Amino acid sequence: MKSNLYNHTFFISIIVALLVNINGIAQENDLSNYRTRFGFKTVKQADNTRLLEVTFVALNKTDRQDQLPVFEAEIQFFNIFNDEEILLGSSKTSKEGIAQLILPENQKYNTDGEGYINLRARFKGTDALSEEEADLMVKELLFDLNLTEIDSVKTVTLTAFTIDSLGVKTPVSDLYITTYVKAMLSKKIIDEATISDGEYTFTMPQSFAGNPKGDLTISSIIDDNDEYGTIIQEKTVHWGTFNKPLKHDENMLWTKAAPIWMYVVLTILLLGVWANYIYTIANLFKIKNEGDNLTNEPRKNYSVN
Amino acid sequence: MQLNNRKRELVKEFSPMLEKTSLLTKIWIGALISIISVGIYAFVIQFKDGHIVTGMRDNVVWGLYIVNFIFFVCLSYSGAFISGILHFFRTPWKNSVTRIVEIITVLSIIIGPVFILLCIGRLDRLYFLFLYPRIQSPITWDIIAIITDLVGCFIYLYLTFIPDFAILRDSPDLKLPVWRKKLYKFLAINYQDTPDQRKRLHNTTSIMSKMVIAMAIVAYTVLAWIFSLTLQPGWNSTIFAPDFIVAGLYSGISVIIIAMYLIRKYFKLEKYILKSHFIMAAMVLLVLSLLFGYFTFSDYFAKWFSHKIADIDLLKTLFGHYFWMFILANYVGFIIPLIILSFKKLRTIKLITFAALIAVIGLWLNRYLIVVPTLETPYLPIQDTRPEFIHYTATWIEWSLSFAGIAAFFLFFTLLIKFIPVISMSGIIDDERRKLKTKETGNQSISYK
Repeated sequence: MKSNLYNHTFFISIIVALLVNINGIAQENDLSNYRTRFGFKTVKQADNTRLLEVTFVALNKTDRQDQLPVFEAEIQFFNIFNDEEILLGSSKTSKEGIAQLILPENQKYNTDGEGYINLRARFKGTDALSEEEADLMVKELLFDLNLTEIDSVKTVTLTAFTIDSLGVKTPVSDLYITTYVKAMLSKKIIDEATISDGEYTFTMPQSFAGNPKGDLTISSIIDDNDEYGTIIQEKTVHWGTFNKPLKHDENMLWTKAAPIWMYVVLTILLLGVWANYIYTIANLFKIKNEGDNLTNEPRKNYSVN
Repeated sequence: MQLNNRKRELVKEFSPMLEKTSLLTKIWIGALISIISVGIYAFVIQFKDGHIVTGMRDNVVWGLYIVNFIFFVCLSYSGAFISGILHFFRTPWKNSVTRIVEIITVLSIIIGPVFILLCIGRLDRLYFLFLYPRIQSPITWDIIAIITDLVGCFIYLYLTFIPDFAILRDSPDLKLPVWRKKLYKFLAINYQDTPDQRKRLHNTTSIMSKMVIAMAIVAYTVLAWIFSLTLQPGWNSTIFAPDFIVAGLYSGISVIIIAMYLIRKYFKLEKYILKSHFIMAAMVLLVLSLLFGYFTFSDYFAKWFSHKIADIDLLKTLFGHYFWMFILANYVGFIIPLIILSFKKLRTIKLITFAALIAVIGLWLNRYLIVVPTLETPYLPIQDTRPEFIHYTATWIEWSLSFAGIAAFFLFFTLLIKFIPVISMSGIIDDERRKLKTKETGNQSISYK
């Protein structure tokens, strides 16, 4: 007997193709299809420590969605001074392909003639991956966030200046700063401004309740500036404003007398129902009277009416 | 057709119920009185020693009594509602069931509040409720609603009884004691069934039937509010009032079906209480079972989904300590009637009655689960106390008084149907009169052609 399967070769082959899991026969990832991305950035954090961070991922050349983090790669961080590499430390990339090094507040950096700190991150390379290197240069900036009450007005003051080797402070201008209040899930922007002559002041809005203790966490950020990189300042202050209701809403049900509407509604309902009862009883008396009148007349046989 | 002859026929047919008391009925009445006597003995102990003889303590302050109260009052309200609907829409099968429904309505509203009295620790201060009422309190609303409803139900029941009292008064052949004949004469208020009297009585009854429907909804809503207006877990729900009404109607219809079955069987009333009446009642029960299932699921699902700590604690108690009771009340009590009533082949009189019985048991357990587990899982954890103060267990005193209440209900029912026929004679005559009138009108219209 000839099988019917041969009559539907096209459909059968599609079904077979669909049934076969393409992942089941896939080759291991071929690194020649990938190019690496070696991103390097620095953030001066709220506690004045400096974070050096490298993001090391492999990107598929054809499929941009396909990204593979490079895991356990040792990254070395250097301070460059007169072409000399001074090792600051090293760190291994995480599962996400991120290597971080936090340098303490009192870390000494060598700067070039213009006052820039030259930083380098390097991956030495393996048999499979080639060497990677990235440089960046930032100037040291003293950025401060002050929260004070001036004449009972809650005031936020931001100051930014550089300091040279002789200890001379120079105020900075044209810096774009965003100030936020930290909330449970996101940050709420409360001010955006460009600082001039090293100082900027604004009045804190009164509409934030803060955490249960009434504390607010305010943070100001200079984000990815060409000269100074990213700098964050953050402070917590007891500035939460609890807006009490103007009128204390008393529970009317605990007062001596019930609300008027309650008396009105109850009276209407009861009057309606009891009036109907009285009407019904009155009708019963009428029925009785009609019957009494009839009994005085001679009884007659009932017929269908 | 001579109307008097037809009346005589009906009286003759129903007279054995009124005149004779069989040995079985005497034994039945004796058994009921015995149960009530035990209940009275239990009440004396409770009155003398206080609530310490019950399972109610500081935490669980409500127990079997309040469960029975809700059950009986819901029976009454649903009876009033169903009776009003039957009368208002002149349902063809109303004559077979309306008297049963009306008696259930009035007896339940008498028995139900007695359980509330048993729940009061200081009965000697009962009059304080009337001397110092707080209009803000749902308890006050409930007292007003129950008293108003009780009076309304009595008037309504009396209105529907008057024509039958008149028929019994005008039946000299009935072998009844003189006092009963005098009582019929007094209660019949000289009703002679004249067109004027009939019209007046019909109009008044019609208005009262509408009033009774509205009152049942209001009163039952107020009863539900006693629970739902508190912040207790499991009670504070917006759908509690409609849920109570649906559950009340569900149990009400079920009790009516059971009563129909027993009365049909015992008094051999197959001629009047037909299979079609059971089928129609079953269809109503089917719709109500679906509604009950829907409301119950919706209520518990919202509690589970919102995941409030107190509600979750309550659900843990329901699915833990009360697991089987919860399954019986909310699954078996809904699914078994649903299966039986959904399939045409299963809709026999016996199975419909069985479904109704399951529904009644399920509803009673449902009431228990509303009251007790909530009180056992308060917002503040109960600590450093004896287990019997946390978990409620009914004592023999409470069970005796509960069974005494049920026995009193059956006893009064038995006595009432010995006093007035369980099938409305005037209703049958009214129907026959209406049919004849329609026929005559039809003949006249033909003759005009």
